[in-house]
Amino acid sequence: MATVGLAPTPPSGSAIARPPRERTGSWPVIDRIAYGLCWAVGIGLCLIALAIVLFMFVKGIAYLRPSLLLESPAPSAIQSESGGFFDPIVGSLIVAAIGIAIAAPVGIALATWLSEYRRPTWLARTVESAIEMIAGVPSVVLAIFGLLIFSQRFLGFLSETDAGGAVSGKSFFAAGAVMSLLALPLVVGATREGLEQLSGRMREASYALGRTRSTTARRVLLPAIRPDIATGIALGMGRIIGDTAIITIVLGLTLTNEGVGRTPLISTLRGSGSTLTSYIYNNSPAGEGSAPQKAYAAAFVLLLIVLALNGLVTWLTGRGGQSEGGMLSRAFRLIPYMPDPSR
Amino acid sequence: MRAYRTLTHRTLVVSAILAVSLLAPASAMASKRLVIAGSTSMLPLVEKLAVAYHKEFHKIPAPKVEGGQTDIGIDDVASGRVDIGDASRDPIPGVDPSGLVFSKVARDGICVITNNSNPLANLSQETIQGIFTGNIRSWNEVPGATISGPIDLFDRENVSGTQDAFQNIFLGEALKISPSATQESSEGLEVNAVKAQTSAIGFVSFSATIYGGVHNVDYEGVPCTLPNAKSGQYGGVRNFWMVTKGAPKGEAAKFIDWVTKPGNLTVRKIVSSEWIAIH
Amino acid sequence: MDRHPLTPEPPRGRKRRWATARTDQRVELTLGALAVAALVLIGAMLVTVLIKAWPSFSHNGLSWFGPGGDIETQFRAMAQNKALPGHSILYFRAWPLIWATVLTTGSAVLIALLVSTLAAIFLTEFAPMRVRQVLDPVIRLLAGVPSVIYGLIGILVIAPYLDDHLIGTARRESVSYVVQLNGADVMTASLVLTVMILPIMVAITAGALASVPASWREGSLALGANRWRTIWRVSLRTARPAIVAATVLATARALGEAVMLAMLGGGRSFAPNLLDGLTALFEPVRPLAAAIFQNSEGLTIAPLGHTVYAIGAVLLVSAAMLSLAGWAAKQQFNRYGLRG
Repeated sequence: MATVGLAPTPPSGSAIARPPRERTGSWPVIDRIAYGLCWAVGIGLCLIALAIVLFMFVKGIAYLRPSLLLESPAPSAIQSESGGFFDPIVGSLIVAAIGIAIAAPVGIALATWLSEYRRPTWLARTVESAIEMIAGVPSVVLAIFGLLIFSQRFLGFLSETDAGGAVSGKSFFAAGAVMSLLALPLVVGATREGLEQLSGRMREASYALGRTRSTTARRVLLPAIRPDIATGIALGMGRIIGDTAIITIVLGLTLTNEGVGRTPLISTLRGSGSTLTSYIYNNSPAGEGSAPQKAYAAAFVLLLIVLALNGLVTWLTGRGGQSEGGMLSRAFRLIPYMPDPSR
Repeated sequence: MRAYRTLTHRTLVVSAILAVSLLAPASAMASKRLVIAGSTSMLPLVEKLAVAYHKEFHKIPAPKVEGGQTDIGIDDVASGRVDIGDASRDPIPGVDPSGLVFSKVARDGICVITNNSNPLANLSQETIQGIFTGNIRSWNEVPGATISGPIDLFDRENVSGTQDAFQNIFLGEALKISPSATQESSEGLEVNAVKAQTSAIGFVSFSATIYGGVHNVDYEGVPCTLPNAKSGQYGGVRNFWMVTKGAPKGEAAKFIDWVTKPGNLTVRKIVSSEWIAIH
Repeated sequence: MDRHPLTPEPPRGRKRRWATARTDQRVELTLGALAVAALVLIGAMLVTVLIKAWPSFSHNGLSWFGPGGDIETQFRAMAQNKALPGHSILYFRAWPLIWATVLTTGSAVLIALLVSTLAAIFLTEFAPMRVRQVLDPVIRLLAGVPSVIYGLIGILVIAPYLDDHLIGTARRESVSYVVQLNGADVMTASLVLTVMILPIMVAITAGALASVPASWREGSLALGANRWRTIWRVSLRTARPAIVAATVLATARALGEAVMLAMLGGGRSFAPNLLDGLTALFEPVRPLAAAIFQNSEGLTIAPLGHTVYAIGAVLLVSAAMLSLAGWAAKQQFNRYGLRG
């Protein structure tokens, strides 16, 4: 057995103090098998992960041309005439914007209420469980529920109504609203995490100066946890951009973003269109287009967007406010709140 | 100090009300356009007609055309969800909702297709019936097949008009397509599926085969081409209908009259390109 | 007075205002109302889905969950408004969908559990620093990859490979009278689903293993246990609640996966017959969420809509039960006094 002596100091940043490396030759067979298995699985996971990422990059770079990013899709079976995916990119951004525009204020408000007020307590606990439940509901179910709501006549102004009076219920408004349900648990979770980590002395100092709870929350606490809020929003956006089921069901899938009516911005939001995810689905062999090259290119763009959002989250959690435990545990603590960034 | 807050609040509230109220008249002012849904086989044709219709009458917005397959289109028009339904099969009394009016707009040929690596020259009706009902299960039993192995059967979904038409024309009333066939939900998917599998066989509208990628099989010795379909030599021809609830009225009537008017050269040109004009 | 006498007067004019106690009450009421509204919305969702689903359940009773015929035929009958002979129009037997869900989700979670535990141990204990630095961001990226992309890779790379190389003619012929085999089947779907839920399980488990108190591990090592024993007996035991939570999370995601399974599961709602032996691995499946996804166009047809909402209700209830399980697992967290 190796002498313990003066153990080498672990590199800074590592939370684990390691004993000097023990030789496995002295271990019982079962332990050695387990050790070997761990290594095998670990290396295998490395390889699979790298293979997926590299494959998408290689295929994407092979098929992505700048013109694809700027042309609108055109209906044609011939690849060279079917245009690019400008409209789907715009569509993805619109849906993400609407989703976050609804989820962010509501999420921050809910998180503040859950953290600072919490009266009556039974209501607070029920709301917490409800938000957890929403996080676990499959997005298809949210989609069919959303379709039901937006097909009602009184919400006809949010989508297209045909000449016979029936409301289609499928529009960017509707899709964005349903998407906000996806992002809500993430924003609430991240904001609550941030609020709960703030030292109690911050609040006490503010109250001692005579401020009320609402002023404290608005002027002291929320600004202090801006990185956490931003993390929650970034996670929410990642989940929204990656979703396909809601888009296919609630956004009337047309090749280009067609507006309804003539008011400039509102007509696009009331109209139908497509997003990167539905474009990829339609161009894969599972959809009509069967244009794998375009699908790979669009998938590459989508992956870049997700990468950028991930990078943003990493940077933000690094800048975190009053955290104890450093970046690693912060990031990992947030993971339970991103049940699946994409479905 | 209170006045300032009230001022800010009032401004916010008023602008919010203004923004919301903009939506209501905006939605009312926008002229409603026709919504047409149904057969995926008719989709390319009706899309072209919609664009041409808007080009001719600038004031009328182009109708919105969707797929969804025939039966769903018929159901939608019966319940008032869309204005016009596209049906690629003949009306079935007793099954279709009552009160619907079918207006014929074109005729279309159905081709049996196989993968390009299996360029079957010809299939008789008997062989087609055997293959599609599942009695003939291997390419070894099919004369003229260049591959061997089990047959991969591709069908359309049960709400498809093309499936109904194929069944009536090629199989007849009594026989049904084998339930082990894979069902595709649109023309495009059917073509893709046959393109992808060497042992595949399926059926699509003639217009879906124009861009190639699959092999058209002759039926009873007659090649599946547009001239043969027009002349009546090719047996697998079915009707395209536009369906309305009751007699067509209003915008829908205008559109359908424009499409079915004898002597309308624009429409004739569009239809004759890949389908069979009825006038 | 609602202000402490020593606090300075709030500035007048157009400068910033501080809230008074009355404003605070109003804020609390508004926020509370928002919370109630959110609750009402979620409750409305539950209630609406259940109401729309009720006709399907009431017509079929408990045998809704049982076997009894081809699902495609049943959907056809509803879409064409032509009831199957001897049954009502709402006749539906969801067993193939349920069995497909059990197979795909169950196998994916089981394999992922095993693999993620070993991988997490590797990541926190055995991996060299450089490997860990590369793998951390890669795993976090994988956790965020949208499911369409997994579906795309599966359908363009894995399925054709399987179709050409692993499914032989003899195997196809053995089941050709019932179902057609191609690369999209239960095995492809389960494998890709496993890869989809792995990153999140690895991340949570690794996080939990990393937060095992160093003193516990050192104590075990000091007592003479080798590293593996320490991990097995001390670290993993401590991380057990986290592993349970990760499993619950992964199951929720696997259950709700619709798009990827629709692309890779195959073209039919078929219940693989395990008696077929290995061939059962290659038979097409369509789990519950994928079935909703594929039939979403028919929602407006009444009987079809009721059935699809019924499937949605089943998924909702499962999600709620999983939430409950997750909450129960979190209770165990607190027992150990460790954050997950």
